Amino acid sequence: MPKKIADILKEKGIPINFQYGGTAPEELVDREVKKEPDPRPKKLLNLYFDTLSSATVEFPYWYTRKWKELEGDIPVIRRATAMKYAFSHLTPTIFPGEKLVMGKARYYRGSFPMPWESEGYFLAKEDELYQAALKKGSASADEVSKFGSGGGNVTKSFGSVVSIAGKFGIREEEVPALIRLSREWVGKSVDDLRSKYEQMMPDYDFKEKIMRSVICMFESGFTLPLGREVINYYYPLQYGFDGLIEMAKERKAEVAGNAGGDGVIGMDRLYFYEAVILVLEGIQTWILNYAKEARRLAAEETDPTQKAEYEEIAECLEWIAHKQPRTFREALQLIYTIHIAVLNEDAISGMSPGRVGQILWPWFEQDMEAGRTTEEEVIELLELHRVKMTCIDCFASAGVVGGVLSGNTFNNLCLGGLTRDGRPATNRLEFLILEAGIRCACPQPTLSVLYDEKLPEDFLLKAVECVKTGTGYPAWMNNRNAIEFLLWQYGREGMTLEEARAFSIGGCLETSPGAWHELTLNGKTYEIPGGAGQPTSVGVHFLANPKILECVLFNGRDHRTGEQVYPAHNRKLETYEELWEVYKQYYEMTVDVLCRANNIQHDIWRKNNMSIFHSLLKPDCLTKGHHIGNLGIRYNGTFNVESCGTVNLINSLAALKKLVYDEKKYTLDQIREAILANFGFKTAEEVGNYSLVTQEKKEGGEVWDDIHTDCLLAPKHGNADPYVDAILKEYEDWFCDMCTKYESLYAKPLYACQISVSTHGPQGAVTLATPDGRLAGTTYADASMSPYPGTDRNGPYAIFTSATCWDQTKSQNSQLNIKVHPSAIKGMEGARKLLEMTRAYMRAGGFHIQYNVVDSKVLRDAQEHPENYRELMVRVAGFTQYWVELGKHIQDEVIARTEYEAV
Amino acid sequence: MVEERKGLVFDIQGYSVHDGPGCRSLVFLSGCPLSCDWCANPEGQELKQRVLYRVSKCKYHERNCRRCISACPYEAIAESGDAEQPVNIDRNICRDCKTYDCTKACIYEALNLSGKWMTVDELMAVIERDRKFWGDGGGVTFTGGEPLLQKDFLLEALKRCKASFIHTSIETSGFASTETFMEVINLLDFAFVDLKHMDPDKHMEHTGVRNELILSNIKTLAASDWPGLLVIRIPVIEGFNDSDENIRATAEFLKECDLEIVNILPFHRLGDSKYKQLGMKYKYSESEGTPEDVLLHIQEIFLKYDIACFIGSNTPF
Repeated sequence: MPKKIADILKEKGIPINFQYGGTAPEELVDREVKKEPDPRPKKLLNLYFDTLSSATVEFPYWYTRKWKELEGDIPVIRRATAMKYAFSHLTPTIFPGEKLVMGKARYYRGSFPMPWESEGYFLAKEDELYQAALKKGSASADEVSKFGSGGGNVTKSFGSVVSIAGKFGIREEEVPALIRLSREWVGKSVDDLRSKYEQMMPDYDFKEKIMRSVICMFESGFTLPLGREVINYYYPLQYGFDGLIEMAKERKAEVAGNAGGDGVIGMDRLYFYEAVILVLEGIQTWILNYAKEARRLAAEETDPTQKAEYEEIAECLEWIAHKQPRTFREALQLIYTIHIAVLNEDAISGMSPGRVGQILWPWFEQDMEAGRTTEEEVIELLELHRVKMTCIDCFASAGVVGGVLSGNTFNNLCLGGLTRDGRPATNRLEFLILEAGIRCACPQPTLSVLYDEKLPEDFLLKAVECVKTGTGYPAWMNNRNAIEFLLWQYGREGMTLEEARAFSIGGCLETSPGAWHELTLNGKTYEIPGGAGQPTSVGVHFLANPKILECVLFNGRDHRTGEQVYPAHNRKLETYEELWEVYKQYYEMTVDVLCRANNIQHDIWRKNNMSIFHSLLKPDCLTKGHHIGNLGIRYNGTFNVESCGTVNLINSLAALKKLVYDEKKYTLDQIREAILANFGFKTAEEVGNYSLVTQEKKEGGEVWDDIHTDCLLAPKHGNADPYVDAILKEYEDWFCDMCTKYESLYAKPLYACQISVSTHGPQGAVTLATPDGRLAGTTYADASMSPYPGTDRNGPYAIFTSATCWDQTKSQNSQLNIKVHPSAIKGMEGARKLLEMTRAYMRAGGFHIQYNVVDSKVLRDAQEHPENYRELMVRVAGFTQYWVELGKHIQDEVIARTEYEAV
Repeated sequence: MVEERKGLVFDIQGYSVHDGPGCRSLVFLSGCPLSCDWCANPEGQELKQRVLYRVSKCKYHERNCRRCISACPYEAIAESGDAEQPVNIDRNICRDCKTYDCTKACIYEALNLSGKWMTVDELMAVIERDRKFWGDGGGVTFTGGEPLLQKDFLLEALKRCKASFIHTSIETSGFASTETFMEVINLLDFAFVDLKHMDPDKHMEHTGVRNELILSNIKTLAASDWPGLLVIRIPVIEGFNDSDENIRATAEFLKECDLEIVNILPFHRLGDSKYKQLGMKYKYSESEGTPEDVLLHIQEIFLKYDIACFIGSNTPF
């Protein structure tokens, strides 16, 4: 007899009257069933939607003024005092309905420039900015609606608001102040000094040519010197700011005048502890200014509920300005306050809060036990935290904020993973974090699951439920891969397996070292994880892999700029091996020069602009008495080499190998001609779209049809084709090893980082057509393992096979984004199957996978009618962003990306 | 030398989540003895490779391309004069073609050949590649066309799967000799058998065959000691099999066989474009998907008979 239904259903735990979309848990149906934020966070989120990115010069004004006064003092003291002064003078603003308060600046979405990092940009824009400020004009409805459809970005000046850095609005009367402040930093900013010293490198010209060609896209030392790392909240959570000041005073007394056996920097400890005290005092004043503001508002408020809320805010702030938090709410307020304080200290993208559910567990547990709070109240607070984190803007130049980051600030919150002793680290609070992420869908903090085979099924299914809402988060990271990578990279700095388990994701998907700390609350001891490494957003960043191949094919010349970037190799490239050899040579020259330049940048930064608050939070700065620049932080081998466009490179190599070297169907010259002719197509700019599918043929372009077709039909990554997979493996084996040959300023080897963030748009824009049939100016394949749109013909299992043909644990990360149509993951079974797919990729050795649950028809409509899609979020290269805030390049690419629909 | 046995496979789909337990790979075998009006896979109806013509990719106008016309040795392709469908393929001539020169000549992928003759080894290589990604409870589902039509190839593939501890499933019309049907079934862990209509004449009218053999195969299977799970599938076709009368008759038949699971599939017309590509007319090109209330109504009838009726992909398997 065939099996009985009753047995089957019993096995599955499903009743016989299973209803279509009925008795299945409602949240596990498709994305149309969306939860709403609770009323309070909803109101504040709506306020965010209506708010523009706004910059102010308040912080830079006070900082610069104090810095000038202290001319001649030791840099770390000058910086700490200037910071104290600036923090103490920030205008506090509290918005009605807020429970969590404080912000980077006085605006709801406020931020500010830091001319001490780089001032040239504002001065170069001086004329433009002045003109915009002088050009009085009333805001026309037309202009205003344009901003509305572009989200909160202020891309054009209007009314009395001037657009700076392509994204931020600044009041016109502040523009002269900004320019004046910027002038103060001429010749003194990190940017100006690094430029001076970089020129002492014999091959400085070569480096500049590489930057001009956009083979490299980002220089971290003077734009975003910190980031893609995990913050550590432990010390303030354990000791309170008063406790930390006390400790610093004691240590200061101990080290004053003592070298402590270190003749080079032993004496620096005194200045560091003094700096710690100064900065902490500044931060205390800053918090207390908000408390005062809350008291002032409470006194004026007539509504008794709102009045009581202001008073609660004041009490909370007055306590956490000094002491260890007592409740979950105080602890959450404190970590948020610490977070923005760090972000105000320096220009940072990707300061990840880390494993918040595990860090705040002690307060949650004790509040719940004592009946001080309810889960609903905690969820509301977590939703408010989401709104606050989403309001964070990172101020940097247009190229960095727009081109590299798509405006995203990458505050990645991680869930899951293991405890120090190897047990699953998930807890009830992590369920609530997911629930808050489902209810209050907004980009920050983005969520990641540190996937481990040991994690409980109910937790994983809850995470899938969150994926199904279409928010794009959580992303799935392979815990075991990360641990192997960490031991491989940080074993030399003494990392143990237990400590490797404390890691978290910094930024979008950068495996970052962590440490465990013992936290005591009301006599009970807990172990919490936190960041213990330097930033990983530093090193040689975003090398355009296909562009380097272009230079190999054209004897070192960049056709776009007409510049001879690399020394001519003058080789005939008669064999594939020779081509590959020259490619590696060019690449290694590139990494070499950029690594040295980056080292100079960060060396200037650590001497004049070192982090103090950020440093003291991380082990072992307070213990050692050293800031980041003096290797106070426990793990320092964090600098890396980031690549972009890997899949187009691999596909191009495969096409060349097959068509030119194996089959000899075309000569290399024929391929070159076809590339220069853009295979008979117009340029992407002429067409106004950067996706391959919409490119238009030139008159008479048919002559290139045959060669273009052959290039397009050549083997492609993502099809489990051994021909291409072998090329990818050869590339990865070389790349991951090659990076370790270079040394950071901290004398530690670099390693491979393989995420493109958003650089595949702009770097694609500067690249000619490629031998894989990609046309000039069009976007590269995103991520590092996602197939080029439309070239994967064999479904996700074939993609997985190709993506795992190499050892992913030798790289800090890899990245695979897959767009899933809602129908493929419908219902409870759909959820289980999505989990199976995720698990399968992880088991095969994949590091990261992320799903974009969306219909391409919806996206096309969103492109045409952005005003109707203000809330639509999509995954782009490892993070979530509002559709309307994405550049057109990226929108086109998301649409073109393969869609998996299992019907 | 004996030539290795080959089967004609018109698609292999990974991460298929609607055709059997867990995540699966679906193997579509060509050829079908039925000719259901609503068939969603017209390219799999014949045990033969077919030329598909995607007009959207054709560059007849844009690039003045005439490659296929000159490539065809039988002069089966000609300009149509119709701007919407610039070339005409004479399918009567095309039928006997063995070389498919036109698809090789077309560099724009407008003319494509459906299906690929594969050896069992080649098929197993794909299945073995996929299996590590299925996760718990996944496996292979053979579908079509009618997979039983390529019985020898199917049996060999199934034996290989069983030898490799792979969970096997089928989606079949049940239209085959009882001997063949049971021989295949015995290598399976799970089976979907279609029951399109209870009335033999109606069945004949819309599928081209009568249903007695199918019904008797289902009976035989239900009474056998096969340890696998049998799920009866009904594609719900408006005006054909969605009447209360037919549903009740089906339910009674299932009760008679002591079967308690049915999976009803809402109609969809996703196959429409493939009909166009094959130069065929699709009777259902204007039909809408089955409304939810019809499905719920059918489900209600089955539930009255204590038969678990699952709708579409919302199943516990």
